[in-house]
Amino acid sequence: MNPILSFIVILVGIYGVATSKNIIKSVFSVTIIEAGTILLFLNLAVYEGGLIPILTELGMDVVDPLPQALMITTIVIGSTITSLALMLCIKIFHHFGSIEWKVIFGGDK
Amino acid sequence: MVSHLIKKLSMFVLLSFVLVMFILAMSDLEFLYNNAGKVFFSNNGYYDTGSRNLVTAIYLDYRLFDSLFEAGILLVAVSGVLWISQHNIKEKNATFMMDKQKTPELFITFGRVLYPVMLLFGLYIILNGHLSPGGGFQGGAIVATAILILYYIDISKEIDVHVIITIEKLLFLLLLGVSFVSFFTRGEIMTNFMPLDGDIELKQIYLYMLNIIIGAKVALGLVAVFTSFLKEGR
Repeated sequence: MNPILSFIVILVGIYGVATSKNIIKSVFSVTIIEAGTILLFLNLAVYEGGLIPILTELGMDVVDPLPQALMITTIVIGSTITSLALMLCIKIFHHFGSIEWKVIFGGDK
Repeated sequence: MVSHLIKKLSMFVLLSFVLVMFILAMSDLEFLYNNAGKVFFSNNGYYDTGSRNLVTAIYLDYRLFDSLFEAGILLVAVSGVLWISQHNIKEKNATFMMDKQKTPELFITFGRVLYPVMLLFGLYIILNGHLSPGGGFQGGAIVATAILILYYIDISKEIDVHVIITIEKLLFLLLLGVSFVSFFTRGEIMTNFMPLDGDIELKQIYLYMLNIIIGAKVALGLVAVFTSFLKEGR
C-alpha cells in the first residue's frame, strides 16, 4: 500500500502544476512531486526489521542502500533547482509586476 | 465556468488513469526489484571501499560518476542564480534587514552562542561521513546554515560572491582530479586510488578527501545562493 500512497502524493503535485494560477504555487508543486518521488524510492527498500545501512559490526541485516544513495542526488538537485526557479520568479515579478500566469501570458489586462 | 469544470474533470480522469496504470505496474514488483543489491553491498561494501556507511560507499566509490554530475549540476545552478541576479560586486549584502525589520536582540545573542556549535557539528558530520549518518552533502548544508547565521549577528559583514563561485569552480576541478588519480594506480577511472587488496584504513584517506571537497563545495554554493537572494530583497 505504501508505494501507492506515495504515488498519490506525486499525482497531487502534477495536479498542482497543471492547475495553479500562481508561479510560486507551481514551483512548490514541483517540490511536492520531488517529495513523493523520495517517499516512493525509500519505501522500496525498507522492510520490517531491516537496520539502517551502516555496518557498525559485520554481518548485520541492513536494508538496500542504493535507493538512499540515489535520493541524496534528488534532494541536492531539487533544492538547487527550486532556488533557481524562485530567482526566476523574482525577476519575472520585477519585469511584469505580477506573478500570475494569466498576466504574464496577456490573458486579461 | 463550465469549461473550467470540464478542464478539472478531465484532469481528474487523466490522473486516476495514471494511478491505475501505476498500481498495475507495481503488482509484479518482486520481479522488478529483488534483494541482490542488498546482499552485494552488505557483503562487499566495507572491504571494497573502506566505508562503514554503505550509502557513502555507493556515492563516493561505486557510483562516483553520479556524484560528479550532481556536483556539476549544483555548480551550474549556483552560477545560474548568480547570473540571473546580476548585481554590482561592491554592494553590501543585507542592508535591507536594518531598514525594514531589525533583528531581535535575543536572536543575536543566541546566534553568537549557537554559531560555533553549529560549525563544529557540520565539520563533525563531514569528517565522519563514512562511519555514521551524514557525509559531504549533508554536512555542507549544516556548515552553510552556520555561516548564514553570521548575517544576522553582524549585518555589515561583506561576502564577495564572485570569489566564492571561483573557489567552487576550482573545487570542482579538484574533485575531477582526485577521481581520475585511480587511472594511474588502479587502471580504471572514478574509483578509490588505493589498491583494491590494500589496507582498509588506507582506503579511508580517499573518503576523507572527497567528503571534505564535496562539503566545502556544497557549503560555498548554498552561501552564494543565499547571498544573492538577500541582495534581491530590497
